[in-house]
Amino acid sequence: MDHDRDYDYADLGLVAGLEIHQQLDTATKLFCDCPTARREPDTSDRRFARYLHPTRSELGEIDEAALEESRVDREFEYLAFDTTCLVEEDDEPPHRLDEEALETTLEIAALLDMEVVDSVQVMRKIVVDGSNTSGFQRSSLVATDGAIETSEGPVGVTDMLLEEESAQRVSETEAGVRYGLDRLGIPLVEIGTAPDIRSPAQAREAAERIGMLLRSTGKVKRGLGTIRQDVNVSVAEGARIELKGVQSLDDIDDIVRLEVHRQVRLLELRDELRERDAAVGDPQDVTGTFADTDSGVIAGASTVMAVPLYGFDGVVGAEIQPDRRLGTELSDHAKRHGAGGIFHTDELPAYGVTAAEVDALRDAVDAGGSDAVAIVAADREVAEAAIEAVAERAGTALEGVPEETRDANEDGTSRYLRPLPGAARMYPETDVPPVEPDPAGVETPELLTEKVERYQSEYGLDAGLAEQVAYGRRMPAFETAVGRGIDPTTAATTLESTVTEIRRRDAPVENLTDEHLLDTLDLVEADDLAKEGIGEVLTVLAEQPDLSAEAAVDEAGLSGVDEAEVREAVAEVVERNADQVDAEGMGAFSALMGECMGALRGKADGEVVSDVLREEIQQRL
Amino acid sequence: MNPGDRVHVVRGGTEYEGVLMPSTTADRLVVKLDGGYNVGIDRAEAELDVLESNVYDVEGARDGEGGSEIQFDEALPTVSLISTGGTIASTVDYRTGAVTAQFDAEDVLRAVPDLAGRANYRGRVVANILSENMTPDVWQELAGAVHEEIEAGADGVVVMHGTDTMQFTASALAFILDTPVPVVFTGSQRSADRPSSDNVMNAVCAVEAAKADCAEVLVCMHATESDDRCALHRSTRVRKNHTSRRNAFETVGAEPLGVVDYDDETVDFRRSYDERGAADLAIHPGLETEVELVKFTPGMSFDRVERLADAAGLVVEGTGLGHVHTDLVPTFREMVESGTPVVMTSQCIEGRVCDRVYDTGRDLLDAGVIEAGDTLPGTAKVKLMWALANVAPESVPETMRTPLAGELTDRSTPWQ
Repeated sequence: MDHDRDYDYADLGLVAGLEIHQQLDTATKLFCDCPTARREPDTSDRRFARYLHPTRSELGEIDEAALEESRVDREFEYLAFDTTCLVEEDDEPPHRLDEEALETTLEIAALLDMEVVDSVQVMRKIVVDGSNTSGFQRSSLVATDGAIETSEGPVGVTDMLLEEESAQRVSETEAGVRYGLDRLGIPLVEIGTAPDIRSPAQAREAAERIGMLLRSTGKVKRGLGTIRQDVNVSVAEGARIELKGVQSLDDIDDIVRLEVHRQVRLLELRDELRERDAAVGDPQDVTGTFADTDSGVIAGASTVMAVPLYGFDGVVGAEIQPDRRLGTELSDHAKRHGAGGIFHTDELPAYGVTAAEVDALRDAVDAGGSDAVAIVAADREVAEAAIEAVAERAGTALEGVPEETRDANEDGTSRYLRPLPGAARMYPETDVPPVEPDPAGVETPELLTEKVERYQSEYGLDAGLAEQVAYGRRMPAFETAVGRGIDPTTAATTLESTVTEIRRRDAPVENLTDEHLLDTLDLVEADDLAKEGIGEVLTVLAEQPDLSAEAAVDEAGLSGVDEAEVREAVAEVVERNADQVDAEGMGAFSALMGECMGALRGKADGEVVSDVLREEIQQRL
Repeated sequence: MNPGDRVHVVRGGTEYEGVLMPSTTADRLVVKLDGGYNVGIDRAEAELDVLESNVYDVEGARDGEGGSEIQFDEALPTVSLISTGGTIASTVDYRTGAVTAQFDAEDVLRAVPDLAGRANYRGRVVANILSENMTPDVWQELAGAVHEEIEAGADGVVVMHGTDTMQFTASALAFILDTPVPVVFTGSQRSADRPSSDNVMNAVCAVEAAKADCAEVLVCMHATESDDRCALHRSTRVRKNHTSRRNAFETVGAEPLGVVDYDDETVDFRRSYDERGAADLAIHPGLETEVELVKFTPGMSFDRVERLADAAGLVVEGTGLGHVHTDLVPTFREMVESGTPVVMTSQCIEGRVCDRVYDTGRDLLDAGVIEAGDTLPGTAKVKLMWALANVAPESVPETMRTPLAGELTDRSTPWQ
């Protein structure tokens, strides 16, 4: 495949940097006292609607991205919950910056070897897509000038911001977009690296390293959407591209690789277009050409606009990423202005458009065989704006790679989102006084990598289990359990293997709290529950989370087994298999052990059973 | 080294480069980095080089370039925009770090481009103060300005005012002016420098109300927490009932008089009102400023109340139906006898005073205290100031019991 080309990244001048956004697991939000709980949209109990209007920054400039956003006149609807307040609704001034969030941020700064500023100034970062009710995101620069190590050399960490998470986009409405307020205001750190990354593998390694450091604090949120990575990528002759919203670490190298390929391809197409003396003509109304069309999409629109792309024949349909062509880029720009997309002559006739109509289209805009034509069918206003955007993007193809912000797709490709944001999008948040942080009192946590080592040397866990526990969500529970004197291997096996096993048997393990797990382990430690019964008890607790661990033991029918009962059950088994015992002596032990455990249904500890069985066999001999 | 200079700062091992911004504290430098972030740096620990002077005009940045070329269209009505300051026309002040008023009326046009095409505008600045700093002499100056604007042909007047004391100023204008055109007060609860500011919708709806048929002094503010419609409140019946919400203003004891729909730009009224052109323009600007409003609370010092005896008039915010501690009744009697009218209102806010129900009330009436019916305490203060300057002393009690500008209603129908 073309996109699998083996690039020499140093040769291409690949420069990449990362922006990592991580939600913090604080008790309250960054600027109000609401919990940081996520909610389902259908549990919303109020809703309201707003508009946003762009304003000038303190330096008198209007941000280009904000301006483009505002051209699309939209109404934003917000879902409020019983866990949100007037601050999220922009109907009450923000409270002071949350201390817990700042403390965690300072801890992360120490792990990233960063310098903390003398006074943290909260800024308003203008965002008028509705994801913040205020029209800006409150953000503050807390630390600068750090570094992390990778196998390909150090990567500088330029800055770390502490900011409020935006509202979650829930759905589109007829008039605009609907957002949930539950996510708005959750503390978020944004870590930006220097453009020191030189290969896709290094990008992934750097992201993994930062992710590990963040999780080492034990104070960051876990799960889907709680960490997001943006990647900035450029090649020597290309342009800086900000790729937003990479959800999975595993995708980062693919994304960088495919972006390099996209920039290389756009440069190749530019050279070809220049060689052909290509040019973009003026958009024209071609509604008449399609008066009797059978194409449903076109027939359903009031206006069809076309732009002739002289010398573009074959180039519009040329692939630049897997299943994405230059035409797809043009289409993204049209969509941005409300159109459903574009048709272009490299893919026509198709979609109900006939060969005769394509000929007529070419005639109408004076395009020859070496030219291409792109069309947009929509309402007049939308079609005119969209075809202008298409023409503008086609013109940029003659210059090379346009600087822009792109949205990462799940397959590692990306699509046009908006122009790069400028630096002018910020002014001070005067409602929040500056804060003087005190980095001196910060203690750095043990790193997860260090934990893995310690779990092996101190607790005797094997490497695999140690890593599973250290990186797992239940790590704090493990440390608590061991602190309470519970056997580390039992604790680790329970928290990782046992929970995984019962999840595979469809137990709703997401209901299990650390308290459930710790109480169950306590019962094992107190000899009130056999290790073999842990899985059954946890299954009961997962299904009935309101039960106590003791009650769950009863519910599972595992309670009240003392040694006398064990002896009774074992004696019965030995009696039943008297012939085998007589014949094989201790050789029958393994076979009978299984039967004994089965008879006791995990109610008794394996070691006790084995001791008793040994005695009983001995007695018979 | 001045704000606006491009600087390079070394602090410890860390370097910062950017534009120096005005700082709110003496011991911190504030530098705007190239990414747009401001950081505070310990001045004593910092080594600073000026790379280039005056890169930005920090103070003048907000003025921006014109953009609001005002053109006259004969087909449109003329609306005067009068600015008194307040959040609707405010921006960041770097000296205090807080939000203050720095815009004049033309800046409002620039800040709210949506106003274009709705009317021909005449801009005027009467004051540039936060509304908590408002004084009766500014009310009089404003009333004079509104009078002049209407005389000069304005078809409606919009007054931009801080929200904190808007209800007092608007009430004062209702008593001072007889107006043949709408006089609409508006403001904003979220400052104009944020994209979510309510100033755009409030200003647009106020202009629509100023073009409408109701020739009264109105307050036009968000009706709900959504940007869907503004309520039109009669100025003498409105009260700011929330510190921060957009829909903080409420008509007490009734639904708002009218509503402006932001989407379809219609203005509808729920009850009867004074129609455009019904009144002849007149102004009665006199105000007696020696009037106090006192809220009675359990345990309050009676001595201090006695010391108000030299006031020209006293409005009391009593409890319940209009009561104070029995031991205060003689004090009020003495005040009334020495020529200081005492007017009773209720801190219940909703409902009307009635001093005929309990003994204390009857004693108060016997002492000569004037019942203000359902007049709001703040409105009663403004009305008493106006009455003392505009009617004969013996007519003051009757004036306080008679509705002049919708401040006092005959029927209690809060559901209407």
